[in-house]
Amino acid sequence: MQGNFAVVYCRAMLREDFTLTKRQLGLLLIIIGVAGFAAILAIDIIDVGREGGIGPAQRMALGLMAALALAGLTLLPITDTPA
Amino acid sequence: MAAALLVLLGYFVVYVAFAANLMQFPFDYDQGEGFELVDTIMFSQGQWPYQDTNVYPFYSSNYPPLFHVMAAPFVWFFGPAYWYGRLLGFLGTLVTAAAIGYAVHRETGHRLVAVLSGLAFLASNTIYHIGPLFRQHMTMVMFETLAVVVLAHANEIEDRGRRRRALALGLGLILCAGFTKQLAYATAIAALAFLFIRNPRRGIVWGMGFAATGVLIFLGINVATDGQWWLQTITANVNDFIPDQTVGLFRLWFSLHGFLLVPAALLVIYEFYFDRLSIYALWFVAATANGILSGKWGAGDSYFATAIAALCLLSGIFMARTLQGQWRFPSNYLSRLLVDPFRRFGKGIGTAALVVVPLLYLGYGRAVLHMPTTGPVFGPIAQFLGLEANALNGFYDSAGRIAGGYADIGHFTTEDDIAAGWEIVELVRSAEGPVLSEEAAFNLHAGKDVITNPTQLLNLAGNGMFESDGLLSMIRNQEFELLVLRAQFYPPDILKAIGEYYRHDDAIEMNGFEYLILRPKSDLNP
Repeated sequence: MQGNFAVVYCRAMLREDFTLTKRQLGLLLIIIGVAGFAAILAIDIIDVGREGGIGPAQRMALGLMAALALAGLTLLPITDTPA
Repeated sequence: MAAALLVLLGYFVVYVAFAANLMQFPFDYDQGEGFELVDTIMFSQGQWPYQDTNVYPFYSSNYPPLFHVMAAPFVWFFGPAYWYGRLLGFLGTLVTAAAIGYAVHRETGHRLVAVLSGLAFLASNTIYHIGPLFRQHMTMVMFETLAVVVLAHANEIEDRGRRRRALALGLGLILCAGFTKQLAYATAIAALAFLFIRNPRRGIVWGMGFAATGVLIFLGINVATDGQWWLQTITANVNDFIPDQTVGLFRLWFSLHGFLLVPAALLVIYEFYFDRLSIYALWFVAATANGILSGKWGAGDSYFATAIAALCLLSGIFMARTLQGQWRFPSNYLSRLLVDPFRRFGKGIGTAALVVVPLLYLGYGRAVLHMPTTGPVFGPIAQFLGLEANALNGFYDSAGRIAGGYADIGHFTTEDDIAAGWEIVELVRSAEGPVLSEEAAFNLHAGKDVITNPTQLLNLAGNGMFESDGLLSMIRNQEFELLVLRAQFYPPDILKAIGEYYRHDDAIEMNGFEYLILRPKSDLNP
């Protein structure tokens, strides 16, 4: 059932006249923010040879990802408006 | 508004005078310009500048080719010279300013604010001092801005053929920007995100085409250069990150552009919650985030140039809409919370805008204050404003020497600087055999080989990609009769060998920098 829903949703997204809504954009930002945050943290877990923990560039990138996810959250209540 | 226009026109006059001054200066004004000229000469001769730095002349470039290819025809007609590269950079900024003005006018119909927006871009301290250099950065910004302006309304074009042509042109311009300087990737991300948000299918299809074209060109150059393209432009560009430099440059960027930055940011927030997201807003966000990279070793305030173009464009739209009272807030939880309680003040806010908008441009004009403090034209004006020089050659710059990574340039060159440059050229010319110079111009004028690109060697050495044996051997054998050092950006082992085998003979000051003249230590003659 859920698989069918995803297929139908993806098909709809690929229509010529489809455009993202604010809510969909919010969801997308949350996914990118959370995934990006986890990926940046994972650099230290995967790259075991590195020393010094989370560096300044990583901290800035983590901040950006968190901001992205938070911005996405604030869009969720705005439902049917095109993004 | 007239006062704001007058102030920004004044900066435009300073900019044109500065560009004219630099075009007459036949040496490096900013460190490394000469190596961009060498790249251009190599392209004009049908050679790639992405060479193996482990063999003589130990030279390579770390920049993509388009800017140098554009300048190459000038070499055929005028020989090696700095003026045409600086002219191209300068003209690129004028095209960018015109594109910003055009976009603001197209979006709002407000002619005066459109003109102010374009002039505001040229008035920025960063744009002013990078614009007329023999560097590819502002040409990249030109391509980025043109791309964004072309793509902004491509989705709304009804005719399929015309829409496709607009999309192809816009994405083609982004490819041009990327093959001018790597930093354009942020604009590519913004443009593709915009296309995806407006229509995912179009974003995916055109994004795949865009990526395939870029990768094909990239691989083609890599094959043609036997892998040097990847090594020199990508691997060698991974440099140390200095967080304090990023923080300092962000603070400086805000202090200079805050009067326009705040309106630009407000428009982004407005579009995010109450309107459709424009490509301008996404471009501004991506370019600003990209400013984080300004903390890389070798980077600087130029990394904010794209964000400055975007903020001038967005702030222009914001100002014009405010003057025209065109704000609309559709009902949602934020408008109910933040806007509705203030709706009754709408008329008053509209009236206040008539005063506030010109004041914002005037405030910006004060924040970016930069001009010569001497001479028959600028001297009396500087005196009237109570300005005292705080930079070289009688120049005032409100941004000077505040943050690490801010280029300490912008001053005009003098006849003494040119004479000092020719003095060094004569020393190079009279030397027998090869000369190792940290500035390419001296060797080019003297008709000698340009040997090494120091910063590129340092980049490569920092990534363990430079085998210094060949160059070290020449230094230890004292094969160079003369060395000319400026910033001493060679890798540490090269500098150490220079210290062991060469002695300080003279120092010549040019353009505020001390050029050290070194000769072989006679007691070490092999």
